[in-house]
Amino acid sequence: MWKGGGRMKRECSSVSKLLDKYFDQELTLEERSLVEGHLPDCPACRRALESMETLRNFIRSPVEEAVEKETFPWVWEKIERGIQQREGPGLWESLRDWLSLPFLLKRKIWIPAVATAVILILVMAPLLFKKISSYPVPSVVEYVESETYNVMIYQLENQDVTVIWLFNGPEEET
Amino acid sequence: MKRIIILLVLILILSILSLSTAFAQVHTRIRVIKASNVGQTIDPSLRDVHSDLGSVFNFTSYQLLRDNSFNLSPNQTVSISPRPGILMEVTLVGQHRPVAELIIRVIRKGKEVLNTQVRLSPRRTVLIGGPRLREGVIIYAIAANF
Repeated sequence: MWKGGGRMKRECSSVSKLLDKYFDQELTLEERSLVEGHLPDCPACRRALESMETLRNFIRSPVEEAVEKETFPWVWEKIERGIQQREGPGLWESLRDWLSLPFLLKRKIWIPAVATAVILILVMAPLLFKKISSYPVPSVVEYVESETYNVMIYQLENQDVTVIWLFNGPEEET
Repeated sequence: MKRIIILLVLILILSILSLSTAFAQVHTRIRVIKASNVGQTIDPSLRDVHSDLGSVFNFTSYQLLRDNSFNLSPNQTVSISPRPGILMEVTLVGQHRPVAELIIRVIRKGKEVLNTQVRLSPRRTVLIGGPRLREGVIIYAIAANF
């Protein structure tokens, strides 16, 4: 009896150290079976376990109540922002949504729209082409004629100056 | 439907902007200068072209007689009278950036003293000179900006 009581005490002291983990379901199978084998024979460990449960219920109820009452708007805002950042549409998708392409396709409005665009491109293309075409380095003077003077053209290579000189004129200007 | 109208208006605005750029006006400046070897006066308003003049001519005096500025649209002709009895017609016949093509006609007493077509870029100056004026000569400095 004494020996058995001693074994029981030793077992109880080792099991009581495991009770917290048992309560939190963090034990290995072996430890769990040890605790569960011990509990029916040990009122002290059972009481300890019951008091843990009582304490948990005591804490959990008001916390759960508070959580149910509180909507935590800022938490939801943060979550929604996160979702939007992760799943938000790209620029192209936003533009496509704005343009509502399915709507356009459904209504066949794209036919006059494309026709208008093509006409504009055809009208604009020569002008744009003219504008961006690189002009070969030209002689500044395309032609020069004079009924009354001889003409000489003088162009400086390094300077942006071209001279058209009229000489041997018929008479002096007034 | 509202979106389509907005799109069409945008296309129209872009077209108008593009067309307006294509048909931009050319700001043309014609200065009438009397150059001579009498004195050593350089007109202060000719400082910007004095180096150009000095690199080409040996005159010691340059005097600004007249300064004409005007805007030219494509195929528009502007007539000015740079000197009494002389008519100068300037026509913008082409504009391909960075070059504007001008036809310049100088008429005196019903005779065509000069008929030329020149290509001007914004930094280029064409000097038309030679007609004598008393002890010096007349020089037309023509520049375009656009």
